[in-house]
Amino acid sequence: MALRAAILRHVRVPVKTLTLTGRKSQPWGPNGASLRFLSSHGDDHLSKDEVIERVLSVIKSFPKVDPSQVTPDVHFQKDLGLDSLDNVEIVMALEEEFKLEIPDKEADKIDSSNLAIEYIYNHPMAG
Amino acid sequence: MSFTRRAVKVPPNSASLEEARHRVIDFFKTACRSIPSIIDIYNLDEVATVAELRSSVAAQIRKNSHITNIKVIDMLLLKGVEEFNNIVEHAKQRHHIIGQYVVGQKGLVLDSGTKDQGDSNFLKNFYNSNYF
Repeated sequence: MALRAAILRHVRVPVKTLTLTGRKSQPWGPNGASLRFLSSHGDDHLSKDEVIERVLSVIKSFPKVDPSQVTPDVHFQKDLGLDSLDNVEIVMALEEEFKLEIPDKEADKIDSSNLAIEYIYNHPMAG
Repeated sequence: MSFTRRAVKVPPNSASLEEARHRVIDFFKTACRSIPSIIDIYNLDEVATVAELRSSVAAQIRKNSHITNIKVIDMLLLKGVEEFNNIVEHAKQRHHIIGQYVVGQKGLVLDSGTKDQGDSNFLKNFYNSNYF
């Protein structure tokens, strides 16, 4: 009994250190920086300028569009004289350019380059 | 087998013009999204780009854009879906696709151009007067 008490008095369990090291080894924790290596996106998020430039080049390369009229806030149907099918075609071209799949609800709303830039810039998978 | 099963499944008529319109646009999107795989199947990367084929599909749809009868739109859409399924299932050959969607409009224009001797009035008068 005396021996046991003596041992217990000397042995210290380093609780604090253990939890600290334990947290460090967890890559999925809130502080785990290595989480970013696992994700396919997030690190290489597009800059706004790059999005604007690529969206405008897609619109300019559309055969019916006069490239000199394309500005970052041009409206497809009102300013460029396109119809709704052309609008869908541009959205599909943007999908191809940025490797996205834009759901119907959002795709219906995109009717100007301003909205397209906004949507693609905020999309986490745009690449 | 898959051909028969698909042929039986005809969707009900659209209730309104708006619904028919939506169906057509949905079909256009599906077609656009499978263009890369179609290019892959038929080795079209040397004759056409994705953008060209996309405009070609859009042109086919726009050709019928004046139609307002819902039943006619549904019928045309059904035909389009059928054509699309045939293309995706590789039931066609490469020259079918090239003839219809890559050369497409240009070929037709060339044909009619040689038949009515172009736009040149001089040539037309020449053929009228000197062509025995």
